[in-house]
Amino acid sequence: MATHKITTVDQLHTYLYAAMQLEHATIPPYLTALYSLHPSRNPDASHVIRTVVVEEMLHLTLAANILNAVGGTPDLTAADFIPTYPACLPDGETDFQVSRRAFSRDAVQTFLDIERPAEAPHEDKRVVSRDPDSGPHLPASYAVSYAMSGMRYWSIGEFYEEIRRGLVHLHQQMGDALFCGDRERQAGPENYYSGGGDLTAVTDLASAIEAIRLISEQGEGLRGGIYDSAHELSHEHRFEQLMLGRYYQPGDRAGNPTGPVLHVDWDAVYPVKTDVTIDDFPEGSELRTAAIDFNQRYAEFLAFLTQTFNGAPQRLADAVIEMLCLRDGMQQLMRNPIPGQEGVNGGPTFEVARLREKVAS
Amino acid sequence: MASGTFYDAVIVGAGISGALIAGELSRAGKRVLILEAGPAGDMDTETYDSYLTRFYATAAKDNQSPFPPSDNAPMPRSKDVHPIGGAHPDASAYIVQNGPFATDSTYTRVLGGTTLHWEGKTLRMLPEDFETHTRYGQGRDWPIGYADLEPFYREAEREIGVSADVEDQAYLGISFPPGYVYPMRGLPLSYLDKVVASDVDGMPVELGGERYDLRVRPFPQGRNGIPNPKYDGGKGYRPVGAVSTSQVEEGGRCQGNNNCVPLCPVQAKYNALKTLTRALQTGLVDILPQTVASKVHVDHGGRVSHIEYKTYHAPDSKDHTTGTVRGQLYVLSANAIENARLLLASGLTGTSGLVGRNLMDHAYLLAWGLLPEIAGTFRGTICTGGITDLRGGAFRRDQAGFAVDIHNDGWGWATGSPWSDVLSIVDDHNKFGAELRRALVARISHQLLLAFMVEVPPSTGNRVTVSADYRDQLGNMRPVVTYSVPDYTMRGVVYARELSRRIFQRTGTADHTWYDPEDYGYVTYEGQGFAIRGGNHLGGTHVMGTSARDSVVDANQRSWDHENLYLVGGGSMASIGTSNITLTIAALCIKSARHMVAQLRREAAVAEVATH
Repeated sequence: MATHKITTVDQLHTYLYAAMQLEHATIPPYLTALYSLHPSRNPDASHVIRTVVVEEMLHLTLAANILNAVGGTPDLTAADFIPTYPACLPDGETDFQVSRRAFSRDAVQTFLDIERPAEAPHEDKRVVSRDPDSGPHLPASYAVSYAMSGMRYWSIGEFYEEIRRGLVHLHQQMGDALFCGDRERQAGPENYYSGGGDLTAVTDLASAIEAIRLISEQGEGLRGGIYDSAHELSHEHRFEQLMLGRYYQPGDRAGNPTGPVLHVDWDAVYPVKTDVTIDDFPEGSELRTAAIDFNQRYAEFLAFLTQTFNGAPQRLADAVIEMLCLRDGMQQLMRNPIPGQEGVNGGPTFEVARLREKVAS
Repeated sequence: MASGTFYDAVIVGAGISGALIAGELSRAGKRVLILEAGPAGDMDTETYDSYLTRFYATAAKDNQSPFPPSDNAPMPRSKDVHPIGGAHPDASAYIVQNGPFATDSTYTRVLGGTTLHWEGKTLRMLPEDFETHTRYGQGRDWPIGYADLEPFYREAEREIGVSADVEDQAYLGISFPPGYVYPMRGLPLSYLDKVVASDVDGMPVELGGERYDLRVRPFPQGRNGIPNPKYDGGKGYRPVGAVSTSQVEEGGRCQGNNNCVPLCPVQAKYNALKTLTRALQTGLVDILPQTVASKVHVDHGGRVSHIEYKTYHAPDSKDHTTGTVRGQLYVLSANAIENARLLLASGLTGTSGLVGRNLMDHAYLLAWGLLPEIAGTFRGTICTGGITDLRGGAFRRDQAGFAVDIHNDGWGWATGSPWSDVLSIVDDHNKFGAELRRALVARISHQLLLAFMVEVPPSTGNRVTVSADYRDQLGNMRPVVTYSVPDYTMRGVVYARELSRRIFQRTGTADHTWYDPEDYGYVTYEGQGFAIRGGNHLGGTHVMGTSARDSVVDANQRSWDHENLYLVGGGSMASIGTSNITLTIAALCIKSARHMVAQLRREAAVAEVATH
């Protein structure tokens, strides 16, 4: 029996906050690839990425529900909420970093790395040592690393497994008192739905574990299968279809999709500069103004989400309109070349923290 | 289709009627073959996306613009309609217009049928609509009443996924069982609706000796909103999003895009592909696309023996193969015009002689003007609210009832806004750049368009016929439509125009309504002229009744003359009242499908006995 890493409610809050950071951290890279596609030229690729990114948004909301259920306070406005890209995933491996980049084979390879089901070979490997100086990390790593003394999880799945064990452990000790959160703070299907899985309110141990199961399975599939228990294809295999040029269908084995051909036009893509930052845009340029405006708008959006996760779930529907506006902002940035840089376009920089720097200075 | 497969039912047409019946039969274990005239693509987003791309790219954005035309299964298009001049029918487009009124109603011959371009309003009919003859001495009574259809309305609302609140929809006798809620909560009224409501709510109207207090009321919608957790005894409702063979995610919930007609970009609006996908999952449904049924054959006993069809090899080629299909039951679900066309082309005019007659379609009168304030026009779905108080009442002894739509797409239907506004601001006012944008927003955000959907009673003179003189590329006879707008309807139209003036007065709207005498839909009545538009709500051509003498089908939409033939869809309706017809069609088809399953079991049992 492994030692419990989560033994206090405070630690559980820290982990769940990290889970929200982790889910959100995948969204800028996925959206950058998605909106870099030329409109209507890559419908298959567009659908595949869109499906996954919408499910990441579902996972973010589920993580907020769990945190609310155990009396925590979701906050998407903290200075470290968004990582500085390129960033490592906090899974104990340093062989890849996550970037905000245009749709490409390299981008999809990174997505496969993010979503790969890395089940630890042995129980004692679930938590591995990692050199803290091995590169920038997703911010989750800072919070968790504090609690974990420099240890890293083998995979995102293992990270959620730890949360599950922590929930069970604390529930054994505290009973239902663990779930002391206000029911009114829970977002449910009436506030939100997507085709890929239900948003469920978390009110007790069973619903909390169900939420974690849904997050893990949608990412990795059910126990190594390519489909989860709701017959949905795992994220990893959705992305793999782009590389293999063919859709999976039920009955297929990993690596051998036998469904219809999936068309990818790797060239019908705007050449968005990888990990573009505000510094790439000349002072006084329209692109710079638009990029800062976008970041401002994104900061306001995260503040709005924070409100909805803190007692106003019924306002989640309004987030849809704001997301459509954010989409337009991203596409506008990506469709314009950077003045003075040959052959590369702008893009959203998601440097929300720098807005604060400015205010502070 | 596996050759030699025996089918329990052969269905002609893969619109909502055919899809619903295929679903019901296959879930009861029956094998079904659907013949679809259109060049059906795969059931995936690629085909749907290709419709969207074509729609975005085309200049003429009529309701058929997303769909690839084919001369093998031609479709009527509103832009093909011309004023009918001279004595000869206008045969320039697919529907041969024999006049005197030229209809611009359309239907879509692709997989999913006209639900691919429908607007998605899902009004129930009023109880009085089923007995207009008894109550008002007008039209025909149905052989069934509201109470008979009510349980099937609920099933249709589940299948389509209707967003509405019972408290808004219980009026003029429309009733629901205690505790019923719609699958999803009502969609909110648009800002424009609220602007109109602020002046119209409580407006008194005297008509037929009765007083009505008008109000702007939300319409029930066949588009995804917020699921109602109280639905189905607390089980809730899972909205159905985009249809695809691979797993996709489009959002699935209405996002307020303004091009619901013809196509919802995220498939929040119901289309019959959703029903068809579920039917195909049984593994018992086959679809034969690019296949036009050309003749229904009947044996000496009066039963349908087989259907002859033509399968074309490519949409742009007239090369085709002819074949026949056999089944236990046959279902024509190709809409009111095509069902009648096929029957008449097969020489099946029926004992009553009513096949093709009683053609009905709502007569739309448009009235448009500019509101004194910015009303946010062009936001929201195409229509969220309207005035429904004058759908029923004693005045229907003398004149037609109507429902009024407030159009969130401004003057689009009447003048081609916003594209026509761009042209006019550029060409006539020489604006460009930021000024053009400002001028455009200033103009369209004040636009108000009221569409009066006026009842049309059945009339045997309004009819579909066929003639050997008019054939399509495959040699199938084309529909010839003879149609005039009844006086009863025109009295409703005159009243509607008067009411529009009063509403414009109350809202301070500057009236810009103008009916061009050169308009193909121009109709004069008692010295006034109006441009009438069709509603694509086609009904009556195989009317339902109580006997073979005075109707074509019975209350289960089964042909009186041919015991294994069902004629389903709007053609069975004995009146179309003032509700968009799809919900009622869906309810009727679910009811009929249950009857078909029972008939199949009965006939199988008889066959069993016969072989012993």
